[in-house]
Amino acid sequence: MTSQFHYVTADLTGYNVLVTGASGVLGSGVAHALRDAGARVTVLQRSASGLDGVREIQGSVTDPEAARRAVQGVDTVIHIAAKVSVSGPLEEYEHVNVEGTRTLLAAAQKAGVSRWIHISSPSVAHSGASIIGAAAEPADPNTARGNYAATKAAGELLALAADSANFRVLVLRPHLMWGPGDTQLTERIIDRARANRLPLLDGGTALVDTLFLVNAVEAIVTAIDAVDTTHGEALVLTNGQPRPIGEMIRRIAVAGGAKEPTLDLPSGLAKTAGSVIESFWDAEARGDEPPITRFLAEQMSTAHWFDQRRTQEVLQWKPRISLEEGFRLTQQYYRN
Amino acid sequence: MISPKPAQTPHAVLDPQQLPGWDPQWSRLVEANTCDGAREFHVLDTGPALTDLGFGANDVDAIVIAVHGNPTWSYLWRHIAQASIDAAQGKVDLGPSAGKAPIIRVIAPDQLDMGFSERLGHPGFPSTTANTTSYRTLEQRISDLDAIIKELVDASSNIPVFSLGHDWGGIISLGWATNAAVRSAGSQIEPTGMISLNTAVWHDESDPIPAPLRAALAGPVLAGSTVVTPAFLDTTLALGQPALSGSVKAAYKAPYASRAERGGIGGFVADIPATDSHRSRAALRTVADQLALTDKAALLLWGAKDPVFIDRYQHDLLQRIDNVEIHRYNTAGHLLAEDRDISIPLLGWIRQQLDRDTRPTPDPAAGRGSEAVGEYSPLWSYLDQWSGSTTKAMVDMTIKDANSRPFEVTWAKLSSMVDAMAVGLREAGMRPGDRVSMLVEPGRDLTAALYAVLRVGGVAVVTDAGLGVDGMTRAIKSAAPQWIIGQTPGLSLARIKNLPGKRLSVKTMDPLARSILGLSGSMYGFASTYAGQKYRPTAQHPDPDPADDAAILFTSGSTGPAKGVRYTHRKLSALTQRLQHTLNVAPGSSLLAGFAPFALLGPAIGATSVTPNMSVTKPATLTATALADAAIAGDATMIFASPAALSNVVDTAHELNAQQREALKHISMLLSAGAPVPVPLMDEVLELIPNAEFHSPYGMTESLLVSDIDHHTQHAIADRTDRGVCVGKPLDVVRVAMAPLDFLGRSSDQLVEGDEAINQLSEIVISTPHMLAGYDKLYNTNRQTRVDSVDGLQWHRTGDIGHFDEDGRLWIEGRTQHIVTPATGAIGPGGPEDDIQRLSEINRAAIVGVGPAGTQAIVAVIEPHDQSIKPGLAPTALTDDVRAATDVDLAAVLVTHKVPVDIRHNSKINRPLLAQWATDVLAGGKVGTL
Repeated sequence: MTSQFHYVTADLTGYNVLVTGASGVLGSGVAHALRDAGARVTVLQRSASGLDGVREIQGSVTDPEAARRAVQGVDTVIHIAAKVSVSGPLEEYEHVNVEGTRTLLAAAQKAGVSRWIHISSPSVAHSGASIIGAAAEPADPNTARGNYAATKAAGELLALAADSANFRVLVLRPHLMWGPGDTQLTERIIDRARANRLPLLDGGTALVDTLFLVNAVEAIVTAIDAVDTTHGEALVLTNGQPRPIGEMIRRIAVAGGAKEPTLDLPSGLAKTAGSVIESFWDAEARGDEPPITRFLAEQMSTAHWFDQRRTQEVLQWKPRISLEEGFRLTQQYYRN
Repeated sequence: MISPKPAQTPHAVLDPQQLPGWDPQWSRLVEANTCDGAREFHVLDTGPALTDLGFGANDVDAIVIAVHGNPTWSYLWRHIAQASIDAAQGKVDLGPSAGKAPIIRVIAPDQLDMGFSERLGHPGFPSTTANTTSYRTLEQRISDLDAIIKELVDASSNIPVFSLGHDWGGIISLGWATNAAVRSAGSQIEPTGMISLNTAVWHDESDPIPAPLRAALAGPVLAGSTVVTPAFLDTTLALGQPALSGSVKAAYKAPYASRAERGGIGGFVADIPATDSHRSRAALRTVADQLALTDKAALLLWGAKDPVFIDRYQHDLLQRIDNVEIHRYNTAGHLLAEDRDISIPLLGWIRQQLDRDTRPTPDPAAGRGSEAVGEYSPLWSYLDQWSGSTTKAMVDMTIKDANSRPFEVTWAKLSSMVDAMAVGLREAGMRPGDRVSMLVEPGRDLTAALYAVLRVGGVAVVTDAGLGVDGMTRAIKSAAPQWIIGQTPGLSLARIKNLPGKRLSVKTMDPLARSILGLSGSMYGFASTYAGQKYRPTAQHPDPDPADDAAILFTSGSTGPAKGVRYTHRKLSALTQRLQHTLNVAPGSSLLAGFAPFALLGPAIGATSVTPNMSVTKPATLTATALADAAIAGDATMIFASPAALSNVVDTAHELNAQQREALKHISMLLSAGAPVPVPLMDEVLELIPNAEFHSPYGMTESLLVSDIDHHTQHAIADRTDRGVCVGKPLDVVRVAMAPLDFLGRSSDQLVEGDEAINQLSEIVISTPHMLAGYDKLYNTNRQTRVDSVDGLQWHRTGDIGHFDEDGRLWIEGRTQHIVTPATGAIGPGGPEDDIQRLSEINRAAIVGVGPAGTQAIVAVIEPHDQSIKPGLAPTALTDDVRAATDVDLAAVLVTHKVPVDIRHNSKINRPLLAQWATDVLAGGKVGTL
């Protein structure tokens, strides 16, 4: 897969960076951007990345030998690999998100890596209540909802605990990434809307932050510089343009070539009868991942938007592509 | 028989959580040498806490000696103690000042027999009749206080000391502060200033005692309600506005659990000198007399809803103390220190006393600003000067004379009427400085009565009918007038609501009505009784000094209860000069006024006042024919009307005949104020009145004229992209400075002018010769809105926000309380709202902020013309249009069927209500109704 985008970054010639999870849309974007910026890039993921011009190691972060090989000669690790889903047994999440992180951390420290950019999720500090202009709260595996969030919280705490002057850790928590090529959110919305069966919870008035993928990639690359000055903290990463979830979904759907969705679903129903929702989505036969659970229903019916002042100050970065421009780019992509 | 008991610290018997808000470190026991030997007191003292914070005895800037009343104890002062410690660490914003955070030590003893101090032995229960000399008297308590101070304060350190008291403790603290004999023999402290909450230092025997005390004082009941049972204690603690929490009540009751501990409560009540023969009567008289003589600065903080310390006592203190300021809390009660956070005004006032010498002095040559008041001429100058003139002073189209012609008054007639009424008012007992509530509809009667009141030195209290009955009642009670002049509706209100003041009617009423309404006379009666008499000042009734109060104006605002805006004679004289010189309302011109504030000013300017046939309080009732008929009858040369009135004039213009149309061509000046005038309306009005200059001044009750824009300028700026409404350049003598807003929307303490102020969103701060003297009885509001730092002038923070453009024109973008603070910097709602309202599908739009200050999401709430659009998220197409109309990043566009606005102007949007609604909706809540 080749990148659709040109990324605007600083010159990173001389940097030696490992990107984990480079088979996903975010990881491959970051690897591309780094390579184009002049860095030497190593990627580590289970399947072939399909990336040109990078050193590729196929394997799992949970495998100490793969981890050891991956960090050889590397000065910076960008740890994106994770088990991202909304269902499945806890052990599988722990294996990747906690133990995998622990394994890679140990290898990196042993190999003399000096920077660790840790990609996490705002859900690590989310207990289900509305988030209204809040800063990044501490991760808490005990209150985070769902296996993914709980294990990502534990992984984030491991990384932060490893922070020191010689091993500088910065945690980034991108929130609701979307954009061309994103199968997690963007294409699900588009597919559902094309089938005319996309529900908006409670009129979709809850205000949420999102992040256009290109901005996510550029912010993560910027962090390589920022971590030398500021480290040992977590930052939520968004476009800084909260929108009602209903409007976001409508616009993504329309950008993907669908008609405006109109189906309204009360969130109470979604929360108390999660199974109904799951089977409702299951009817689409998307395999083993019911896309809406109780957790997601909450995510979509309560406000989730963040104070971005600290993030932008630490990274010395502002999102380059506005939501409006992002919709235009998405439309362009799916028209072809 | 009550046995003695030693003092103890509260925490010897209580767990810390039983005294919420109290730091055990504040408690200490102090032995003092009192009139009957050594006694031990429990004292709140923040000295040790300050020492722990690193502030030594020499770092302390001031000491507050706080005295509780009955039946509270020093627990009453815990908020002040905590706030003073926070302030010392710079954690409290005490308002504008150049100085550092003051280090203030608070010392608050529990009185003997009270709180956790020593209990004296008593042979029996206290009583007003029996000889119960074992209980402390007022005189002894004042001397006890000095004895404690002597133990705790080193007189040689010369640290300024302020007294503070509440209830009976108010009398004791004021008594101590003014009793030089006691202090020089003991502590040798000379206090710098005095502060008191609700209290009373004088009670006239002819007045009834407030009912709650009358009950407690009744002979056999006294001990029963105060000592034997905790009834008095419970009654007092039930006075919280809002109610005290259970844990705070329990804390107050902690030292008074048994009857042996409650002796002092009864003793205190028994010591109230309700009669002339009471043993403490002489001591009370001394306090009252000394207060009348002192030049010490005093601050009163007063809860208006106190059943015991009623307004009568507040008024007595204001009259009695020369150098006194007051902040009156209309909705707080007896336990003001619990009801409201009074620490900021209290500590702020103390700092102001400490800073007193550091103020700049005004430049005597100032050509602009508050000091540029020009030549003073009394408001009745033209009435005197033209007392022989047969030209028209007033034409009132709302009244017809016997021949069905409009009612006309010559200057000679008006002058003699005002003189006769003024003589009558003086004969009826009105004294200079008396406040007079004017409950008269605008028109000839109000004009005559008003100038008569001003002539005798009375202070006119004017309440806008837009306040409603409750608002007017609250305003008048706060102003506490000695007189009310009214017509039947106003007088009925005065009677029903028991408003203070002797009542005078306008017209003479029949004996039954006189008796029912409780009237002391009538203005028409004075006019006829004293017809032909010229009013002349006397030694007892001198003419008012220019610095004396002339008027207090209560107007309906968009937020909160109305504030009384105080004007002196000098300031009103300056206002007439502005109208004459800046807006050319010259003597001899004829002013047709359909706008209440200016309808009254004609006689002071020397202009003929023409009142059209309309309801002046309902501007939209002015028709084109009524306007033209008034112009004909009054030979009008200028028109003053609100935009709402002019809009109706345009709507009814088709009813005009040829003669009426011709008359409007003689108008040379049009003034419109009160709200922004849309340019299309200006153009339409100018089609009817083609030879007029159209001016739209900007101002507020606090300064009626600040800037002015004419229609030529309006057209010239039509293409500008500035945010907000342009109100033109400041008037010649007006100085406008800007207090730039920070990222949290707070306006700076530093004012900027000139180039620095261009294109910078700021709070607008003004200094004008005709500005308010201050808000009445609102010390803290005055402190927060006044800026005295620049050139020694008086400056007023208007609460309006906006910017200057590069040509020196002022643009208004909203009010400070409506500022929205996204991470990109504060914005005013006015600009984006105007942009959105230009869309043809939108009737009204409001911009509000959602989320924490400094990182707010900006939300547009719109009211579309199409009412079939569901409330909630706007449809995509409409959302696109709204987003495209403004340059701010809108997080959401929400639809409502009715953007809430005020009744009076139909234009002031209730943004706080909309912000709350938007917050709920955007958190995922129900859309519901507003």
